[in-house]
Amino acid sequence: MTMNLLADVVAPAPLVIDGLLVGALLFALGLVGILARRNLIVMFLCAELMLQGISVSLVSWSRHHGDWGGHVLVIFVLTVAACEAAIALVFVLQAFARTGRLDAAAWQSLRESNLPRTIDRELPSIDTVPPKFPKLAPAGVEPPADEDALLEREHV
Amino acid sequence: MNDLSPSTLLVLVPLLPLLGAILTVALGRVLGPRAHLPAIAGIAAAFVVAVTLLSGMAREVGAGGTGHDHAAKPVELVTTLWEWAGIGTAAAAGDAARSFSIPVALRLDPLTATLLVIITGVGLLVAIYSIGYMHDDPGYPRFFALVSAFVFSMSMLVAASNFLLVYVFWEAVGACSYLLIGFWFTKPEAAKAAKKAFLVNRIGDFGLAVATFLLWMTYGTLNFHDTTLADGTLVPGILGATRLADAHAYVGGAIGTAICLLFLLAACGKSAQLPLHVWLPDAMEGPTPASSLIHAATMVTAGIYLVARTAPLFEACPGALTLVSIVGATTALVAALIGTVQNDLKRVLAYSTISQLGYMFAALGTGTLLGFTAAIFHLVTHAFFKALLFMGAGSVMHAMGGVIDMRRFGGLRRVMPITAATFLVGALALAGVAPFAGFFSKDEILASLHARGWPDAHGEHHEAAPAGGHAAVAGTFHLVSVTPDAAQLAGGTRGSALDALNTPSTWRLLFWMSLATAALTAFYTFRAVFMTFTGPTRVPEEAGHHAHESPPSMTVPLVILAALSAVSGWWLFSTHALASFLAATPSFTAPAVASTATPPAFHWNLAIQGTLAAALGIVVAALGHLGRRSDGPQMERFLGPLETLFANRFFFDQIYSALIVKPLELVATLAALVDRRLIDGLVNAIAHVPVAVGSVVRHLQSGLVQRYALAGVIGTLLIVLALVARAMG
Repeated sequence: MTMNLLADVVAPAPLVIDGLLVGALLFALGLVGILARRNLIVMFLCAELMLQGISVSLVSWSRHHGDWGGHVLVIFVLTVAACEAAIALVFVLQAFARTGRLDAAAWQSLRESNLPRTIDRELPSIDTVPPKFPKLAPAGVEPPADEDALLEREHV
Repeated sequence: MNDLSPSTLLVLVPLLPLLGAILTVALGRVLGPRAHLPAIAGIAAAFVVAVTLLSGMAREVGAGGTGHDHAAKPVELVTTLWEWAGIGTAAAAGDAARSFSIPVALRLDPLTATLLVIITGVGLLVAIYSIGYMHDDPGYPRFFALVSAFVFSMSMLVAASNFLLVYVFWEAVGACSYLLIGFWFTKPEAAKAAKKAFLVNRIGDFGLAVATFLLWMTYGTLNFHDTTLADGTLVPGILGATRLADAHAYVGGAIGTAICLLFLLAACGKSAQLPLHVWLPDAMEGPTPASSLIHAATMVTAGIYLVARTAPLFEACPGALTLVSIVGATTALVAALIGTVQNDLKRVLAYSTISQLGYMFAALGTGTLLGFTAAIFHLVTHAFFKALLFMGAGSVMHAMGGVIDMRRFGGLRRVMPITAATFLVGALALAGVAPFAGFFSKDEILASLHARGWPDAHGEHHEAAPAGGHAAVAGTFHLVSVTPDAAQLAGGTRGSALDALNTPSTWRLLFWMSLATAALTAFYTFRAVFMTFTGPTRVPEEAGHHAHESPPSMTVPLVILAALSAVSGWWLFSTHALASFLAATPSFTAPAVASTATPPAFHWNLAIQGTLAAALGIVVAALGHLGRRSDGPQMERFLGPLETLFANRFFFDQIYSALIVKPLELVATLAALVDRRLIDGLVNAIAHVPVAVGSVVRHLQSGLVQRYALAGVIGTLLIVLALVARAMG
């Protein structure tokens, strides 16, 4: 029924339908990626994918109606997406610096305190010896260690 | 002080102790052991001002002179400071009397002037005495702040010219009394006694509040003095010159009787009369100077003041007036009987205070000028000798290391001669032995009762005395707008049920009760004297080895008061100074009171009867206690079952406990149960709802960002579906 509605509106313009299909495909791919993947960078890329799917739809409608509104909107979307990308990458970098992993599940310690940890699939443990970097001689008083932080930061 | 007007001086009397109290509170910690200075300076200055006022007023009364018919002219001085509350000043002119206006006004008249001198004078002596008595108490500044605040409140109470202000300071003295009884609040008995005093007094305060409402409904004003509205209308005050001049200005009948009985209830609470006397003996848990000042000399006389002040109102209701006497004489007798078997020196004095206050009420109830002046006369002399006795008891207590049980010490006249001598003077005055103060005032009281019991013996116009007001009914005064209901009530017969008591035989009975009380008074007073000061010298171990005479700051006030107790009665009686001075009090110039004036006389027959009664009491006390060990077998054993009755204070406390306290406690327990189980249960149940919801919803917060995203997607899908469904119709 939904398809009938769509066909009624855009029947004389197959190009629009193609564009919308591509857009929907991109959006769905991105959505599945966000929901299924745990790698933060991949998740971010998937979000961008969804954004671009929407952009394609907008451009298609714009072209179909013959006005520039959709194009203008897409330029804005691109601009905002660029800014957002910069911020999101900073977040990803910081998250990595904290946990030493790109795994979004590493952040589930933010869950409600008395819930059990959710483990769908353990990542293979990193058994390589962390590289030894030259260090300055320790000076001053060693700050008291936070046990939670130690748990999460063992590889950094 | 010639450059200060009397109005300013009148304001200064309460103001100076108030300043003293504030300074003591503010600087108490800084001053430390000198914290008494602001309070004593304030009270001393107030005393000087009060004496100045009294002498000024005495000159004015003397200049005014008494008319040819004995009726003194009313002398008053009203100072309005500011208007405290005012509603409806723009009311219609016809309803001018109904405009509600409460000015903060003070009125000086002979009664007020006399009481101000007593309050500040005894207050000053007690404060000086307290320097020695309280010297190492941790609450030293607090004590002086409270005493000073009390002097302020009491001065305002007797100087206020408005029933609402009277009520305010009636409460204020009650609060000071509460704080001073509970001064050692860590002691459970003291805290309990303070609570008891406060609660029992509430009953009386309730009476005063309702009486004030009724006064407003009946008279349309609460002021004592006449006031003039902005448009020139004269609003006659309840005790103002306009109304006093009118013989029919006071409402009798049911409304008038109700007002008077409520006043009597209030007076019973504050002045510890039957049946509300139970708080006063317990109030002895407070520091002795506080007992002396508040619970013997001044505050408890507030009830006397109230009845004396509202004398014209009472005159309109002879039944209520008779009831005042009945309550007073009964209290006097019952309290004296209880006092005979008490072993706690302060409690003997407490019951003696109740008994003497009963005497004053008995005199007030006679409704004659002689009765009113006798009551105030006795109030004055009683303030002197009772303050003296209490301070003597405090001196004993101080030396005995806090022990006050008379069975545990004896023969103290060798240890503390000044205290013993002054205490003896006080005891002689209390027992009514000539020529000490109590003799003359008690003689006047007996004379006033005798005159009502045997009107023929005193001749002239006593039978007309209360009848002057009896004719007065509601609505006769032109500015009084009584509601129709009130008028009907006032015209009813409920007031006359009490009037049936007003027969000479009642008064004869009251006279004999008073005479018996006089004998009992002499007995228990001298029983206390003999037990404490005679016999072999014994000192309780709490006193240690330093049982000694008290410091000069304590003995000097004792000596001053002893001198006053010795001579004031003779001086005031022989010169007739107090009686003629008080006769110029506006309340006593009402025709109903003033028409009962009698020429001053010394009643030989009554004096002999009174002296015989006192002598009998002293002799019996001497037979039982003079020179004996006070811990040995007592005379009480001859009383048989009566001793149980007296020692348990007529079971008043037990009866109240069974009739009032226990049922109330039951209700309170039930209420507490409902509160804890039902109301708290409901609140807790509601509090459990978020917890229960939270315990379910909590599982959604998994920390997994994918799940959150999924929730977002599902939510969006639902919204889209809902929109589509709506679009499809």
